[in-house]
Amino acid sequence: MQIDFDVLENSIKNLRKAGTRTFLTLIGVIIGIAAIVSLLSIGQGLNVAVEKQFESLGSNTIFVIPGASSMGYSPIKLTDNDISRMEGVRGVESVIPIYVSSSILEFNGQKINVQIYSADGEKASAFENTGFFDVSEGRTLTKNDSSGVMIGNKIAKTYFDKEINLRKIITLEGEPFTVVGIMKPQAQSIGGGPNMGAAVFMSLEAFKKITSNIFPAIIFVKTGSGNDVGYAADEIEDMLDKKYGEKSINVSSSEELLEQVNVMLGLITLVVAGIGGISLIVGGIGIMNSMVTAVLERTREIGLMKALGASNQRILIMFILEAGFIGMIGGIIGIFLGYGLSFIIAFIGTESGFTLFAAINPEITFGALAFSMIIGIISGLIPAIRAANLDPVIALRYE
Amino acid sequence: MKSAEMVRLHKVSKIYGIEEVKISALDNVDLSIHSNEYVSIMGPSGSGKTTLLDVITTMMKPTSGEVFIEGVPTTQMSNTELATFRGKKIGFIFQTFNLLPKLTAIENVITPMWINGVPREDRGDKARNLLEEVGLGDRMHNRPNQLSGGQKQRVAIARALAMDPNIIVADEPTGNLDSKSGLHVMEILRHLHEDEKRTVIVVTHDESIGKQAERRIFLKDGKVVGSKGDGKKVSQLD
Repeated sequence: MQIDFDVLENSIKNLRKAGTRTFLTLIGVIIGIAAIVSLLSIGQGLNVAVEKQFESLGSNTIFVIPGASSMGYSPIKLTDNDISRMEGVRGVESVIPIYVSSSILEFNGQKINVQIYSADGEKASAFENTGFFDVSEGRTLTKNDSSGVMIGNKIAKTYFDKEINLRKIITLEGEPFTVVGIMKPQAQSIGGGPNMGAAVFMSLEAFKKITSNIFPAIIFVKTGSGNDVGYAADEIEDMLDKKYGEKSINVSSSEELLEQVNVMLGLITLVVAGIGGISLIVGGIGIMNSMVTAVLERTREIGLMKALGASNQRILIMFILEAGFIGMIGGIIGIFLGYGLSFIIAFIGTESGFTLFAAINPEITFGALAFSMIIGIISGLIPAIRAANLDPVIALRYE
Repeated sequence: MKSAEMVRLHKVSKIYGIEEVKISALDNVDLSIHSNEYVSIMGPSGSGKTTLLDVITTMMKPTSGEVFIEGVPTTQMSNTELATFRGKKIGFIFQTFNLLPKLTAIENVITPMWINGVPREDRGDKARNLLEEVGLGDRMHNRPNQLSGGQKQRVAIARALAMDPNIIVADEPTGNLDSKSGLHVMEILRHLHEDEKRTVIVVTHDESIGKQAERRIFLKDGKVVGSKGDGKKVSQLD
């Protein structure tokens, strides 16, 4: 198809002539597209963040969580016996229970409630390179370190009036501990739990000093590479179901969990973006309204153009192009605004301790652009058909 | 010397409305206008002269009968074919000028050129020449609201000539003008007829305007009821 530059030029001129109206109509489209783009971008960012976290754990990890699907209170207390039986399942390489407790942290006369995480020093080496317990200052725990702890960056920098520096002494349940490491601000949360920025991590020996309530909140089971993760997960689930009852323990492989989380995130993103989509439909109605007004205003002009030799088809294309342009320009501005917005949301989110970032990807960008243009063209269709089918004699004498 | 037939209407009728309230605007009209003829169509309001003009310009299809423009039958043409045909064959001059208000004089003259596919590079020169021809060389970049009535109508005449049509149709061309501007416009129409050898058709209810044509066709109740001045020169009339 040959591009009709004259009609194109005329459409652009007409949009510029109707400056204020074009601008107001654009705002409707811009808001809709910006909403969709920012929501999709944040949703995609969440997805990538979750995937990265699971990737660092490796695909050969099985999560065993008593009760609910994420860490919380459960009446079931898994025992050392359970752990050694898990170690006996074919293909299992290591079993790492994570212990959780909360306690009052005392420093410089101030008291603040914190989450405490602990893992067996022998087994915790499996966490190396997972990014969970990376430090920004100091060092990680040595095995069986009974007096050193790592603290989250939030505890170190913001929670207390006075910053807690390395080698300072903090008190938990009356026991003194030395801060040997400060965990990275971006440290990941464990299995949907709180961010490590607000947590204390210590060895099991140290943990035993502050609580007698030592039951794993989550157990990571790692299978050797090349082994069937699904088989091991099924075996462990069978074993625990027999002992504690059906479905009382949540056993899922990292892939399954990732899939579940992704499905959930996808659904949320879809619903939220759908709401954004509604605002774009409102924008589309704005385009339609604007085009209907333009056709009415320019009825005589349309009649004149027909008298001067313009075919119905040409008039149709002219108005569709005008509507399409509003969609396209609104789309382009909306995309920029949407990404800008999602970066701001991600920034605020990260500052408040969530793992959030804005994703820029071609599917969102071009999808949004195509969507806005299609909405524009569809909205312009009815007014354009009306303009094209105007009787030239009547249009020319329209008052 | 017998000149070619520019416009021919054969048993043309136009009926408005439906069964019960039929209004016959044109009733079995036969009419022939030759090349380089200057014709005025006259009659009181409601006589059907506007409808006759709409049919001649192919803006409206008759209910029955056939309309030939330069020998080509037009009633069977599609709307698209008609538009293209009309754009190249007929130049319009309206009582209310119908200039596009946000375009300058020269942009208004260029409008039919882009609609009818004149190459970009040819448009500007041609529009400038036409505006100079109607005495508006110094008003090219003025918008209609910066022009007097007479100047607007001269822009409209330049626009009517943009596609160099054989037939110029003017609907009450002096209706909205003072007498001096009206005379100027009529002088241009005479020039188009005498010097440029175009066919000029003027619709008017104004006797003094109608008289300037070679031939006057009188309409009443949708019928041609008479004609004066056939074959005579303008100067020989009355």
